[in-house]
Amino acid sequence: MRTDTTGLEDGVGRTGFDEATLRRLSRLWDEPAWLWERRRAAWEQFRSLPLPPATHEAWRRTPPERLAWEGLAPVLQEEGSEEVIPRALEGLADGGPTLVLHNGAPARAQGAEALREAGVVFCDLRTAVREHPELVEPFLFRATFRPEENAFTAQHSAFATGGVFLYVPPGVEVQQPLVVGDWLDGEGFASPHVLVVLGPRSRAALVHRRTGLGGGLVNLGAELVVQEGAQLRYVQLQDLPRQVREFGVVRARVGRDATVYSLVASFGASVEKLFVESLLDSPGASSEMLGAFFADDAQHYDVHTLQEHRAGHTGSDLLYKVALLGSARSVFAGLIRVHSGAQKTNAFQSNRNLLLSPESRADSKPELEIMANDLRCTHGSAVSRLDEQHLFYLQTRGLTRQQAVHMIVEGFFSEVLDRLPLEGVRLWLEQKVAEKMGAQAPLGRVAALRGLLEEVAGNR
Amino acid sequence: MATTNPLGIDLDQYKWGFRMPENYVFKSRKGLSREVVEEISHLKGEPDWMRAFRLHSLEVFWKKPLPTWGPDLSSIDFDDIYYYIKPTDRQARSWEELPAEIKDTYERLGIPEAERKFLAGVGAQYESEVVYHSLKEEWEKLGVIFVDTDTAVKKYPDLVQEYFGTVVPPEDNKFAALNSAVWSGGSFIYVPAGVKVEIPLQAYFRINAENVGQFERTLIIVEPGAYVHYVEGCTAPIYTTDSLHSAVVEIIVKEGARCRYTTIQNWSKNVYNLVTKRAVAYRDATMEWVDGNLGSKITMKYPSVYLVEPGAKAEILSVAFAGAGQHQDPGGKVIHAAPYTQSSIVSKSISKDGGRAGYRGLVKVYKGAKGSKCAVRCDALILDDRSRSDTYPTMEIDEEDVQITHEATVSKVSDEQLFYLMSRGIQEDEAMSMIVRGFIEPIAKELPLEYAVELNRLIALEMEGSVG
Repeated sequence: MRTDTTGLEDGVGRTGFDEATLRRLSRLWDEPAWLWERRRAAWEQFRSLPLPPATHEAWRRTPPERLAWEGLAPVLQEEGSEEVIPRALEGLADGGPTLVLHNGAPARAQGAEALREAGVVFCDLRTAVREHPELVEPFLFRATFRPEENAFTAQHSAFATGGVFLYVPPGVEVQQPLVVGDWLDGEGFASPHVLVVLGPRSRAALVHRRTGLGGGLVNLGAELVVQEGAQLRYVQLQDLPRQVREFGVVRARVGRDATVYSLVASFGASVEKLFVESLLDSPGASSEMLGAFFADDAQHYDVHTLQEHRAGHTGSDLLYKVALLGSARSVFAGLIRVHSGAQKTNAFQSNRNLLLSPESRADSKPELEIMANDLRCTHGSAVSRLDEQHLFYLQTRGLTRQQAVHMIVEGFFSEVLDRLPLEGVRLWLEQKVAEKMGAQAPLGRVAALRGLLEEVAGNR
Repeated sequence: MATTNPLGIDLDQYKWGFRMPENYVFKSRKGLSREVVEEISHLKGEPDWMRAFRLHSLEVFWKKPLPTWGPDLSSIDFDDIYYYIKPTDRQARSWEELPAEIKDTYERLGIPEAERKFLAGVGAQYESEVVYHSLKEEWEKLGVIFVDTDTAVKKYPDLVQEYFGTVVPPEDNKFAALNSAVWSGGSFIYVPAGVKVEIPLQAYFRINAENVGQFERTLIIVEPGAYVHYVEGCTAPIYTTDSLHSAVVEIIVKEGARCRYTTIQNWSKNVYNLVTKRAVAYRDATMEWVDGNLGSKITMKYPSVYLVEPGAKAEILSVAFAGAGQHQDPGGKVIHAAPYTQSSIVSKSISKDGGRAGYRGLVKVYKGAKGSKCAVRCDALILDDRSRSDTYPTMEIDEEDVQITHEATVSKVSDEQLFYLMSRGIQEDEAMSMIVRGFIEPIAKELPLEYAVELNRLIALEMEGSVG
């Protein structure tokens, strides 16, 4: 892997994030002038924006210093290595179109030929800015992303290392899920960007799995544009190495009568600070937001969600589940905001936290800001531990205590996973849960135990 | 729909907005300085420790920033407020001794009426000094103390010094520091072990002068096995400039004791009501806050309970009603710092005519507080499309063995309910008012009768003309 970090000092203490690096990245992308302009503008903002203050409510549970980039520099990967492909896709490729990225550079894209004829573009972002500027330029770092939001978002835009682009023309329905294996390795800074543009009445599902080796800082941005009547499912699976720290913004803008279904699942990294947001701008827009977070050891997850209802007759339904082992810590801060005039809104928000060890810790802040009156808006939040009665019952049926705990955890997450209509991804998730529990395979696959599992799940 | 107003009440007029001519013995200079604080302390003839406490608090106040969250407080001008006004030379012992205009104020507030109803004790605060106080003799015999806090500093210095500032230190927040520097009046209650005060102790507080700050300081000590219910109601007349009310209430509930503290706040709609209320509950003790917020321009008030020994319980009931120009930001905090502690928070908020009401709260469970249980329930009713409701709960859970739940709903008055009531011949505005009263019923029923009646009457007044 080629990482060039020579002679980088920009005078404001942001080593590795200077103009020379910016130019090197730009050359690596072989990018058009408009993108260079955007990088430069974001870089100016990055240089002038301070870190968010650790006393700010949104940051006081995860001080921004924990996401510091000192000593790091963007990983400059020219070409992807084929070697990473099997590990990047691990069990997720089921014959459909796939794309593998290696530190942002394309390693392989295949299976999208038939889609291309229908006008669908599914490729890495570096290729997209060169070959489809007319599709990318109106949206990139603009559609839902604002580089000027804070130092991290500015850094993301300025030093974008690579990413994914998906465009689906009006009326086109992509049947098979599109799978991206996003592989990161080396010690450095990676800034992957996802841009999805679904034309009116189109339909697609994108599975974005992020994993790798090594450590460093990942600064993720995802812009999801779902135009009138379209339906997008975006599944983000994060099992990055433990040395990685991550900041991320996943933001969807949903048009009239359009729907976005998102699932964000996290298993890896040491620190993760995520903002997952749905902006419902037009009547009939709706959003399903699912979350499955499973942390152990000293992992620290801090997730902010936003259900922003700006128009009437909009709907949102959020379910975020968090399980914690070891001395893991989680923060859920979810906001439903219903703007003035957004009548007939239906908004739901539910956060459930399961503490599996005496040292774990969960904070929950489910918030509502409601400026319309003709609506239904409900939220709930709970923090609880394993129910000894459930454990006892399962043990009387012959399970070991460890298996019984595993079964309850599976049941806990099944409420989220059962809402995902992608069988392969669901199995993959169950496998990850099993691995966290120190088991070989999910218990739920043992048919004889399935009934028992549902019984327990029904009680949660 | 046309509004009916059978009582002929001018709804633009704040009901308690009458105003008496000012006739004070002493009025401090506007603004805050070491001199003003020393003057207050000197006029009160306070011991040195209290003067030192005030001066220290003033330094803390100057250092502390305004809260960066919550309602906008930037328009408070701390230099444009009178921090101390002493209405009479000495405290009146009987009703007849009171100056006529003060008496008239209280007549309108209905205090003598309350007296006639043999309520246990009536303390009334006119500006900063408690001017009228009575307490049933039998309670005195049992050793119950119910006096204004200034008197307590003189008569019971040891008790006061032992507890004062231990629950809410000046460092807690900017407004607690301000109160600690310039406090005046408030109630001091001491209930000896095992004594159960069956009839609620009551006090009315009242702001009369323009630009006056009201900084009462209440301290309640409930010894083991004792019980007391303290009730306060607040009103203020209307002035064109804003005034500031910043109280501190400290409560200590010892082993097996129970304390209930009820507030119905109906300050006029230009008062900043920024209050710090906190209780500490020891083993098997119960603390209950019943908090009604109808008046004020901005209210920030989060009654809290620290559950510091096993078996302690907390209950917080909160009602907020925000009309035009009002921002009600009440809530509650419960800190579970010991095993097997329990708490429940119920909040009901109503917003109307562009008002903003909500709930802001904290549930914190410390490591080791195993077996703790907490349930939070927030309901909001928004009566028109210009109004706003916010819910900001925070749960910080450091212990595994817990059960913590939070639920909230926001909704409008259902058309089915309205239709049903109107089909029974009830006018639309009355039907609306009935539904709102039903909405707050779980809290209204916890109030002493005359307060429940008053709350319902105030809600009915606020609700009139709310339809169409």
